Amino acid sequence: MSRTFNRRDFLRTAGSAAAAVGLGAASASCGSNHQGGRPSTTTLTWWDYFTAPNFQAGMKTLIAGIEANVPGVRIQRRTYPFADLGNALTLAAVSGDLPDIAIIDNVSMNALGGSGLLADLTDRVKTWGQADKYSHGPWASCQVGGKTLGIPNNSNCLALYYNTTMLRAAGVKPPTTWGELAAAAQRLTSGDRFGLALSAIRTEEGVFQFLPFLWQSGGDLSTFSTYGATALAFLDDLATKGSLSRSCVGWTQQDVNAQFLSGRAAMQINGPWQIPTLRKSDLEWNVVALPSDRTSATCLGGENWVLTAGSKHLDQAWEALEYTQKPSVLVPYLESFGDLPARDDLARTGTWASDPALELFIGQLALARPRIYGAHYADASQAIALAEQAVLTGSATPAAAAAAAAVKISTALGRT
Amino acid sequence: MRPGRPGDTGPHAARRRRTGYLFSFPGLAFLALLLAYPLLYNAWISVHDVGLSGLLGGPEPFNGLANYRATAADPAFWHAVRLSAVFTAGSLLFQFTLGFALALLFARPFPLNGLLRSLLLMAWLLPPVVSGTLFKWMLDGDSGAYNALLRSTGMGALSHDWLNDPATALGGVILANVWVGVPFNMLLLLVGLHGIDPELHEAAALDGANAWQRFRRITLPLMRPVSVTVLLLGLIYTFKVFDLVFVMTGGGPVDATDVLSLYVYQVFFTSFRFGRGAAAGLLLLAVPLLAAALYVRRLRREAREGEAA
Repeated sequence: MSRTFNRRDFLRTAGSAAAAVGLGAASASCGSNHQGGRPSTTTLTWWDYFTAPNFQAGMKTLIAGIEANVPGVRIQRRTYPFADLGNALTLAAVSGDLPDIAIIDNVSMNALGGSGLLADLTDRVKTWGQADKYSHGPWASCQVGGKTLGIPNNSNCLALYYNTTMLRAAGVKPPTTWGELAAAAQRLTSGDRFGLALSAIRTEEGVFQFLPFLWQSGGDLSTFSTYGATALAFLDDLATKGSLSRSCVGWTQQDVNAQFLSGRAAMQINGPWQIPTLRKSDLEWNVVALPSDRTSATCLGGENWVLTAGSKHLDQAWEALEYTQKPSVLVPYLESFGDLPARDDLARTGTWASDPALELFIGQLALARPRIYGAHYADASQAIALAEQAVLTGSATPAAAAAAAAVKISTALGRT
Repeated sequence: MRPGRPGDTGPHAARRRRTGYLFSFPGLAFLALLLAYPLLYNAWISVHDVGLSGLLGGPEPFNGLANYRATAADPAFWHAVRLSAVFTAGSLLFQFTLGFALALLFARPFPLNGLLRSLLLMAWLLPPVVSGTLFKWMLDGDSGAYNALLRSTGMGALSHDWLNDPATALGGVILANVWVGVPFNMLLLLVGLHGIDPELHEAAALDGANAWQRFRRITLPLMRPVSVTVLLLGLIYTFKVFDLVFVMTGGGPVDATDVLSLYVYQVFFTSFRFGRGAAAGLLLLAVPLLAAALYVRRLRREAREGEAA
């Protein structure tokens, strides 16, 4: 080591003193411990962001199954709000209190992939021999720098929901192209009802919804100044004609669904996780593929299982992970979550084959592109979000916003 | 000579001094652990190239002032500085004037004075996340209370999606922060008003001074020290506001409410550039620190003047 006093020495020096005043108390609770039970029992710490009540039963069953079937393993689960899990992992990386297992958003693989935080599962996966069961996009999102750093948990993507009653009344057919979408949205707009609702919020959520437009126009992040401008101009046009509320710059996908549910939007772009909520309402709705321009595309969402590189119980954690991927375990677990499988071999089974809405989403997964852009994708994503907001709030023209974003994107992605 | 003072030379001086240090130890330990250590650590990071992999054992090369230079070269940083200045100035102006007006009102006895005053304090006692959410709802374009009020009073044409328009979002956030800060200003100013000898007002009234003249020539000059203190404290509190803005707008729309604290947060937790985040964080600290130094100097001077009197 070239320095005599590095950051970790610095941390270590004060660490013991910090523990003395109780700072350590909070962090100690999330480390693995060997106390309690037989000496052969290993407690695996586990973090995820499935905080909503409707996820708890399925998660409890899954964890009970692990504890009953993987010898000597106990799971200590901790949940974080969606937006906080990434930060929690970062902070835990600093203090060395990372969980053994985590279920993270597949887009987080960009930032975490190159950091050395995630355990390399390449050899275990090779021995396991199940890699070919997984769909291409989700599996690709787990590969970073030639290593397998995760196992896909589930997949989702975006599609176009429409209010059947409103479309019938207006004599409008579900749109399949951008031109049809613009025309349909305009005809469905009346009074305080907007033709289309989508989320353009200034977070990854908004970018998740914008990227399909970019890809459909034939572009990608590397050609943003041209195709970004095309996609932004299309949305700008919708907003100018009043078919899309400019308030969408503040809407999460949850807010978008609320607009759709309340009848304030005739169509919405959203994911399969809204299906249970929509089914509880009296609304008559249906869902179709996102309209295409030069090509068809949607954005791949979903979560990946990861193990952390510093874990002392990698073997047991892998065993637990392997258990969760058995079809007999995985199918009921994913169904309880309302999730779609990330495996081709399960896609045509159970409710996924019998439920038309789920079937539509399953079919779209083939067109769903993962966001694999490297360690500094977050900066590029931020630039895209700003460009979209600038256009939709009328502060910049599509061309100017796209050009400004393209510079930031190439700076972000050009960095090694 | 009191025991424990540096000049103490009595028979048990050494032991008394030791006891003195013992008493100051908890305070010093607290400061060292919870203030000095994080600040030094932050300063250390700010002169190193620390990314996510650095935190996990990768290299963290010393890079001198590169983080500071990169921050200074980032237009988004200067945009954030400007927004923070506007946010702070706007908040302080309205908090202080409204707080002063309310303090003058509550300085007079009237029925329910105490009850109303305590109710007003609620705004200050609410967690910023709650007040932020409250204002986010009230300023909502569709179902917000402000737009409903405008529509019901025939001014529906003025209704607006306040927080989703870059032109009005910062105003909306300032409004919320003013609401939060008014009670604090009022309370401190009220204490100041109570400290003014009523005989001064009586004497001036006898000499024929009207209410405006008494306010202008007696209240205002005598309130100057309290006012400066209130404004300095307000500056310290306001400049570093994060939660309220984060809850209400998250920095948007576009970058209309990206104040310094949010900028620092994004550099840290969105871009994972810890070195640059730490550098920007230290720059963010400079303004409140300066205000705090001025405040402490004032306190000392007041204490000295108090002793002299």
